[in-house]
Amino acid sequence: MSKNAIISKLGVLAQKREYGVLALLVVTFITVGSQNHAFLAMGNLKDMLVACAPVAIIACGMTFVLLLGEIDISVGSMMGLLAAVIGILTSPQHMGLPVGVGICITLLLGTGLGLINGLLVTFGKVPSIIVTLGMLTALRGITELLMAGRWITQLPPGLRVLGVGTILGVPVCIWVAVVVAAASILMARETPLGRRIYAVGSNSKAALVAGLPERRLKIFAFALTGFLTAVATLVSVPLLSVIESGIGNSLEMLVVTCVVVGGTSTNGGRGTIIGSILGVLLLGMVRTDLIFLRLGETSTYWERAIQGAFILVAVLIDHIARRRSNLEVTQ
Amino acid sequence: MLVWVLSLILIDLDGYYMDFQLIEVNEISKAFGGVQALDGVSLDMAPGEIHALVGENGAGKSTLIKILAGTYTPDKGTVTVSGKKLHTGDVRASEDAGIAVIHQESTAFLHLNAVDNIFVGREPLRCLGMLLDRPLMVNHTKELLKRLDEDLNPMQPVGELPLAQRQMVGIARALSKQSKLLIMDEPTASLSTRETETLFRIIRQLQSDGVGILYVSHRLEEVFELADRVTVLRDGHTVDTLPIDKVTRASLIQMMVGREVTETSNEGSKSPETGKVVLEVDKLGREGVFQDVTLQVRAGEVVGLAGLVGAGRSEVARAIFGVDRHTSGSVKVDGSVLCSGSVKEAVNMGIALVPEDRQHEGLVLPMTIMDNLSLVIQNRLTRWGLRSSEREKELAEKTMHDLDVRASNAYVPAESLSGGNQQKLVIGKWLASSPRVLILDEPTRGIDVGAKTEVHKMIRKLADDGLAVLFISSDLPEVLAMSDRIIVMRAGTVAGELKREEATQEKVLELALAESRESSQTDKLAGGVE
Amino acid sequence: MSRLKLSTFQYWHEVVLFALLVGLMLTAGYIAPTFTGLPAQSEMSTHVWELALLALPMTFIIITAGIDLSIGSTMALCAVVFGMGFEAGISLWICAGLALLTGTCAGALNGVFVGYLRVHPLIVTLATMAVYRGVAEGVSHARPISGFPDSFAVIGRGTVLGLPIPGLFFIVALVVAIVALSKTPFGRSVYAIGHNENTSRFSGISVDKIKLLLYTLSGTAAAMAAIMFVARRNTAKADIGQGMELDVITAVVLGGTSIYGGKGRIAGTLLGILLIHETREFVSWQWSKDEYNAIVVGVLLIVSVLLNTVLAKRRVGD
Repeated sequence: MSKNAIISKLGVLAQKREYGVLALLVVTFITVGSQNHAFLAMGNLKDMLVACAPVAIIACGMTFVLLLGEIDISVGSMMGLLAAVIGILTSPQHMGLPVGVGICITLLLGTGLGLINGLLVTFGKVPSIIVTLGMLTALRGITELLMAGRWITQLPPGLRVLGVGTILGVPVCIWVAVVVAAASILMARETPLGRRIYAVGSNSKAALVAGLPERRLKIFAFALTGFLTAVATLVSVPLLSVIESGIGNSLEMLVVTCVVVGGTSTNGGRGTIIGSILGVLLLGMVRTDLIFLRLGETSTYWERAIQGAFILVAVLIDHIARRRSNLEVTQ
Repeated sequence: MLVWVLSLILIDLDGYYMDFQLIEVNEISKAFGGVQALDGVSLDMAPGEIHALVGENGAGKSTLIKILAGTYTPDKGTVTVSGKKLHTGDVRASEDAGIAVIHQESTAFLHLNAVDNIFVGREPLRCLGMLLDRPLMVNHTKELLKRLDEDLNPMQPVGELPLAQRQMVGIARALSKQSKLLIMDEPTASLSTRETETLFRIIRQLQSDGVGILYVSHRLEEVFELADRVTVLRDGHTVDTLPIDKVTRASLIQMMVGREVTETSNEGSKSPETGKVVLEVDKLGREGVFQDVTLQVRAGEVVGLAGLVGAGRSEVARAIFGVDRHTSGSVKVDGSVLCSGSVKEAVNMGIALVPEDRQHEGLVLPMTIMDNLSLVIQNRLTRWGLRSSEREKELAEKTMHDLDVRASNAYVPAESLSGGNQQKLVIGKWLASSPRVLILDEPTRGIDVGAKTEVHKMIRKLADDGLAVLFISSDLPEVLAMSDRIIVMRAGTVAGELKREEATQEKVLELALAESRESSQTDKLAGGVE
Repeated sequence: MSRLKLSTFQYWHEVVLFALLVGLMLTAGYIAPTFTGLPAQSEMSTHVWELALLALPMTFIIITAGIDLSIGSTMALCAVVFGMGFEAGISLWICAGLALLTGTCAGALNGVFVGYLRVHPLIVTLATMAVYRGVAEGVSHARPISGFPDSFAVIGRGTVLGLPIPGLFFIVALVVAIVALSKTPFGRSVYAIGHNENTSRFSGISVDKIKLLLYTLSGTAAAMAAIMFVARRNTAKADIGQGMELDVITAVVLGGTSIYGGKGRIAGTLLGILLIHETREFVSWQWSKDEYNAIVVGVLLIVSVLLNTVLAKRRVGD
């Protein structure tokens, strides 16, 4: 039947998203690289990957959240709070606790915040947009209170190593990102947990009938995102020369954009970690492109606009692909 | 000493007897809100027995199934499986006890492939229980599919497969559970004849393996073909359980309904020839869905649109109505062409569509009867641009009276009505728009026999009053009983047309099937009879 | 809207809100008596009109189970357009017209994506929230623009017959909103879409057009709010309206509108607006720290939805 032939062909198109992003990535790379050779310099590429690393780490967690049909826009404020916390805990200017203690507390706090999100969404039955919107604001407020306008400039060397240090010449943050990504890919494809997440996102009614633990999976996804946000904070903050209360501002926007561009549907059930990583790389490249195209200082203003535009374009493409495919359950 | 030995023997015999019964449902009761869905229902099955469960909608069949599956917890009563008491309200416990369910609604995970669909929730593991055992899963899936005679790519997302194959994957999932009791809820609703035959074959295989089958269906022909015994539920009570050779179709219906019901017989239209053509569909097509559909419906005529599930009938209806855009051909009402894609325009020109899914497409369940009825023509029921509650009330009362909608008043929410009354509500809503053409898509699906007959009578009367009716149904006896003419669709196009006098179930089926024939369209349009 | 003859009194939520409001004011009055005095309240009331005006279209949007996160950014964009027009020497009336046009188009873009392309409003407005803010910042280089003539400031601060001018705009909009939602077929269509979009389509309701209209109106309202703001504060900058969407959504949800759609009333929204407004003002008054505001409103949003869910379950019974 021709109908099915067309459907299956365009179903592949939906899967092709990862290839599409990869292609776009390669094309952009070549275009900008050929116009401006400094772009291709190893130092610049390294900087770009280092900037991408924390985003990639959080994007792994965010992918699972979106796969379940939820969203988490509080990650930016979480990072701000966690940065303030690690700064205050470990800086000799303030509490000067051992770095190990600071790291543990930060990781616990991140996971805890994610846990709160998860509990409110599942047991409180509050839509995730509302929970994370409220958290976004509340956490930002708490951060501001905590920092009280101060800037933290001195960080212990034990912490700095996380950001600046290298293993085999490759910065620590990139290693961490690679490990997180690999673990996430493994989890998504080869573990029962991963399969169940896709199942719940695809058809939550059927998941109920099959006895799948929707609540537990969602709590896990939110808690994981909180944990990964903490990890990302730990590997990126030490790179900065100063910690102030505005860290992580509109980070959630960037992460969501990367994940959506990478092919994850906001309705759940569809998307891959690899796609999200490709999305991170693509957007990271766009950001450096802007700098190289000499928009100069104004580029930071337009950055946000461009990220938003990316989502709109990704969504448009989705729409065109979806119109012919029957994968989404219409409801 | 002797007493001791004797009592041992008796206990042993007792256990032996218990092993005989696969499942025992004892005095199960369950209420929702104030409604008693099940009241002291009892049932038992032996291993290897095919036991049919019939009853009108609202009789409690779904509730009973959900209790057995572990989705609901009963208020009273027990369930025993192979002698052991079942821990109710726990899906896992039911699964572990050997109960598997094939559901009516779609329980497929569209984004996952067949392998994942079959195993999700019960995945075989390796590597210290951390990873999925993929090779085992894939092999097992291939075996299952082979057993079901189904040739599909197990790695393809199930959402890309046609509905019938999706249903087969669902059946494969149930089969893979090695269950003792397989509950099937309207399993053939979306299946083709070939797949239905395969399913019946599997059922008989399972029977000889000692698996018990609880078969729930409205299709009484299937019940008579398969079942050993049948239990009739009515209003939450067990009416009776009888061996199949002790019942007839009529007696079953009587038990289900509680009164004698004469099923609709086809009296035919009063004046099918003199009515003029109201709806004219000319070479209508929607790319990738259906093509080259041509048909006419006259005033006073009931034209049945038959065909297998997936033949494209609902899609044609939706395209005529404007919910979906058509890409070729035209639709004319009373000679005027209808533009594509605007439901509003279709309504203005006098087309009405009573959709397939009355709950999700026909009614706004939380809204009142009055709101639902006014929804289509609400702009006509205004006074100075504002809603006029007097006119709306008038409409509601008239409709409820004319169609015999049973409810306490017009202000109750639509969701509180029974299936049959809800269907009448949807029809009433559309009648309010004074249509010239009424398209009905599976209007009696999931409605009990009593209400079904009422709806049939209603439709006949509407046609006699001058409406042009297009009647889509998968229930062959119903199509034959209602239609003046039958148009049969197959694989997205019109396979043939039969007049009332010459139509039989076999001829309709033949037109609906005929897959391997390469013959041209004209052959079929000429009347479809060899 | 069913009859009141039965004992199913429908306005419990509003009653509870009113009680909360009274409770709040009494507590506030006890802790800081001057807060509840007329002069203070009068002064503070000048801040509320933007929030109030934006909450009206948002109520409609949330009833259709949608959401609009871009209103703050739209405000900023319109303010920037207005300010830059003024700097370029264009007459204020035309500047206002341009600002209104910008807002309307911004809203219409949202509406096209949500209505015709059928994309989830969450994603669309999240994206446009970034786009509009980014464009506002990029175009104005985040510079503040001030120096508007006094005659203009009157719009923000002036009164006519004792009523503040922005208040008058609001009252007109309020009346239109109440009538439209509860007494017209349009209003019922909005509820129907929120309950069941499929059925609405099948019943001949132009779902896409209605959604387009609602999001466009939201954009227009944002433009009006921007003009009011600029008039009041005498400054146009790309960072205004930040966090506005949070306040507005919280006010609407607090007011009893279900985030899932199908339920909600303007009366409730009104009370929600008052509650948010008084809470914010009181927090600022007592502790004069903006940070507390952020925390309070954030928590309030989550709590109000939680309460809504709990109360709804108890009412329905299962």
